[in-house]
Amino acid sequence: MHIVIINGSPRVKKYSNTDKIIQSFAKGLEEDGSTYELYSLSDRKEWDAARDAFNENDNIIIALPLYVECVPSLLLEFLDTLPTKRTKSAQLSFILHSGFDEGFQLRLGERFLRALPAQLGCTYGGCLVKGGTFTIRTSKPQDAEKMTKPYQAMGRLFAQRGTFNTREAAKFTGPEQYPWLLRLMVGLILKNVVNKKFERFAQGWGCVRPLDYKAYQDNS
Amino acid sequence: MTIVLNTLETDDYADEIDTLVSNMGNEVEMIKTSGMNISHCLGCNQCWLKTPGVCAIKDDYEKIVRKLVGAQNLWIVSDTRFGFLDYRGKRVMDRIMPMLNMNIEFRDGWMRHQLRYHTLNVGVIYKGKGDQQLLDEWCERAAVNLGGHSLGATALIGGKEDA
Repeated sequence: MHIVIINGSPRVKKYSNTDKIIQSFAKGLEEDGSTYELYSLSDRKEWDAARDAFNENDNIIIALPLYVECVPSLLLEFLDTLPTKRTKSAQLSFILHSGFDEGFQLRLGERFLRALPAQLGCTYGGCLVKGGTFTIRTSKPQDAEKMTKPYQAMGRLFAQRGTFNTREAAKFTGPEQYPWLLRLMVGLILKNVVNKKFERFAQGWGCVRPLDYKAYQDNS
Repeated sequence: MTIVLNTLETDDYADEIDTLVSNMGNEVEMIKTSGMNISHCLGCNQCWLKTPGVCAIKDDYEKIVRKLVGAQNLWIVSDTRFGFLDYRGKRVMDRIMPMLNMNIEFRDGWMRHQLRYHTLNVGVIYKGKGDQQLLDEWCERAAVNLGGHSLGATALIGGKEDA
């Protein structure tokens, strides 16, 4: 099976969490004998080639981060350039991830993606949904690798089944919502650990202001 | 203060939009973005982690963020594609990140970023074949991000033949 993977993240490839997810996923694909080609929409120079690959192949996966509850505007712009009818039938599947953890955060984005393939003349190959990916970028490389590792098994599974419409892929999302006690604990961890980590990370970027700095005055 | 970001490329619904806007109260400002230089969000995170509250992209959106700092309501007027906002309408929402900060908390039952300034209510006025239910729910979810409530999604009905 040959698969066209399109990275729909607007962030440059070098720092793209989506790219790291794709690399791990693709390792799994290859382990099971599939091949792939990858295009990244953050580089507009790749758009023509990505569009050609979309039109000429029959198995396409778009991987993307959730941006304000749905698809990033850059990906919408690319989708706008695709033909709505095609000569060659194709299956379109998605890998949707988000910074926030709980599954229900991604469901509106998933709903949009479910309805999308039919509007591009494609069939729907399912959507692999997972949250909790923001810190891939802010973690040490070995920790980031641990976070993306589970996608490798999903790559193998996709190579075997040819779809994300499987029980395993559905389970991959994890909890739809944390139970209240866990939420309470996570809330404390966010306050006492995670947010402090962000502050330190920002200092590493040369940030000299507090993270909650009010940059502009309310003059209304 | 209510800010209306009109991202339509044509004027064929101008009268209807003006009527809707005139019903939004006294303090309303409509900004037409079609002639403005507004990039998509690059997801660089600098507005959260390097220069808190200030976007790394130096374009016309900075004027919009400054306005939003003094606003309570945000309406996006947008064309639709695939049942949702088109990329121009979505673009002005994706760039709103400087209004939030990096810190995460549970707020109203959702894990969310903290508000940098204050709450903002969100509404959509759309042209073309929008999925009403999808857009309504998107307004609700987008408003949760900004600590406010949804102002709903309103379809433009008049205008020219392509309505």
